[in-house]
Amino acid sequence: MSVEVRNIAKKFGRFPALNGVSLKVESGELVALLGPSGSGKTTLLRIIAGLEFPDTGEGRVLFFGEDVTHIPASGRKAGFAFQHYALFRHLDVFENIAFGLRVLPRSKRPKEPEIRERVEKLLKLIQLDAHSKRFPSQLSGGQRQRVALARALAVEPKVLLLDEPFGALDTKVRKELRRWLRQLHEEIHVTTLFVTHDREEALEVAGRVAVLRDGRIEQIGTPEEIYDHPATPFVYDFLGNVNAFAGRVHDGAVEIGENKFAAPQPTGKDDSAAIAFVRPHDIRISREPGGHATLAARVVYCHAAGPMAHLELERVDNGDRFTVQLSKEQFRELDPNLGEQVYVELKNVKIFPEDYSI
Amino acid sequence: MGDTTTFFRSPRREPHRRSTAESPWVRRLLITGALLFLGIFLVMPLVLLFAEALSKGLGFYFHTFRDPLTLSAVKLTFITAGISVPLNCIFGVAAAWAITKFDFRGKNLLITLIDLPFSVSPVIAGLIYVLVFGAPGPFWTWLSEHNLKIIFAVPGIVLATTFVTFPFVARELIPLMQAQGRTDEEAARVLGASGWQTLWRVTLPNIKWGLLYGVILCNARAMGEFGAVSVVSGHIRGITNTIPLHIEILYNDYNTTGAFAVASLLAFLGLVTLVLKAWVERKKNAELRATEIRMTV
Repeated sequence: MSVEVRNIAKKFGRFPALNGVSLKVESGELVALLGPSGSGKTTLLRIIAGLEFPDTGEGRVLFFGEDVTHIPASGRKAGFAFQHYALFRHLDVFENIAFGLRVLPRSKRPKEPEIRERVEKLLKLIQLDAHSKRFPSQLSGGQRQRVALARALAVEPKVLLLDEPFGALDTKVRKELRRWLRQLHEEIHVTTLFVTHDREEALEVAGRVAVLRDGRIEQIGTPEEIYDHPATPFVYDFLGNVNAFAGRVHDGAVEIGENKFAAPQPTGKDDSAAIAFVRPHDIRISREPGGHATLAARVVYCHAAGPMAHLELERVDNGDRFTVQLSKEQFRELDPNLGEQVYVELKNVKIFPEDYSI
Repeated sequence: MGDTTTFFRSPRREPHRRSTAESPWVRRLLITGALLFLGIFLVMPLVLLFAEALSKGLGFYFHTFRDPLTLSAVKLTFITAGISVPLNCIFGVAAAWAITKFDFRGKNLLITLIDLPFSVSPVIAGLIYVLVFGAPGPFWTWLSEHNLKIIFAVPGIVLATTFVTFPFVARELIPLMQAQGRTDEEAARVLGASGWQTLWRVTLPNIKWGLLYGVILCNARAMGEFGAVSVVSGHIRGITNTIPLHIEILYNDYNTTGAFAVASLLAFLGLVTLVLKAWVERKKNAELRATEIRMTV
């Protein structure tokens, strides 16, 4: 079932949480709403679930083309998982999952054996069939979130909405659950939207990512599109650590200090101030000066624990610092010394006009 | 999973001395002072009360309770508590539910109004009802035409008691429900539960100990209320006397031993309440702690 929101606006008091957001999620898609806190992503998800209502106006929520804007949460049949799970602490795992079935009107409520069968199937799916008699307080965080997901799935929702589903878990459990969610989605193919502030999570799990900022969608696209072709400096910055160099656009290239770098898609007017963004892994270091195609810099700090080595460099001309990421192999080959002068070449430079602030 | 429970237990009763602890003799002095105070102002009166009640022997003691006037006072007290406590239980849950689970205009005003019975003197609470339902009041003509008596009758006593004890349940529940937040209810709603189902299946089980605690306090006050009831009762012996009013009458009749005998019943009810309260309070705090644990995980 497809989910669409059109022109949603929402204010809390005088604070605008959403300013005219439109988004369409196709049937069976897995879409991430990515953004920093306060960007409106959770509000958008809650509006889709029917837990909040958009401000009166043109704002519309459509499930499969049908207007559900004024239908409250209990009538929308969307599965929702909360960041802090919201499991019913007085019910055991089995009864938590069965809750949605037990509150169905008598005419639609499945018979007891069928409820039992459906819950047991879900317990197997979340690999907690041995724990059905436990209470939420006796489960770990990851187990609780799986129970919360099973509870949401028990009513066979057409849409699954997850609010920071792994936000309260430690890194290792997060990674496991991410993979599990991806597999689950491949199995049951329910239209899924999930909110996260973790870019890695969004890029790894989602089929499409919508980046939100200040109550607007900045960019929407596949993880690759978003990562390789960020539409705005904000998206560029939010998706990964990035180096910013002040410069000028001139003749299809960007001038940084005394040096000139090829810029494939110079945006903005010719011969105007611009910011050049370069990702740390798109910088090459060598000991040989490359004329105007390289910047001179000094090595200030090295950190080589983990799969990649990180170097902090300081520009010789103006003292600005930037970071470079090297593979372990490149790092060993270069073997830089602290304080040593090197020359860097910038690749995949992305230019934005200077007034376009992050 | 046995680990998780110990893991979340809050660190209590640390064996080593804290930097904020007082020196031993200061501590001994403070503890002695506190115990002395408790002894003189709490334990001694209680002992004297029972001693005085039994001073003319067990025979006289039980004789007091066979007196029809005493029996009718006990009966009226139980009727009054039996009506006002369930009413306040319903009002309290409704008010706490509205205040903590919804946003609306005038919420702060409602919270202030709930506190009103605590902030005005019970005598005034009684007088309000005399003014509203009594002789020159707005409803007087209509009430007397229909031969309905509120003031100087049982309905007035129930009304005054309900008013005075109104805040107990609501005040107990509001902080608890605020701490628990709205997500459980939201989870129930997205799972398709109606408002009624959410209340019975999610909210009430979450607050049951807090509710019981409020009910116990409410009941204790309902049985012991003197001021407001005294104003609206009219002191008609055998008809509009509750236990506290009956004690006063006995005392004013120079039947000191009888007064203390009936008072010992009230004191006994108070002690039972205290024990129940302590037990429920432990359960209630566990309820609140469960909330906190859930929030921090």
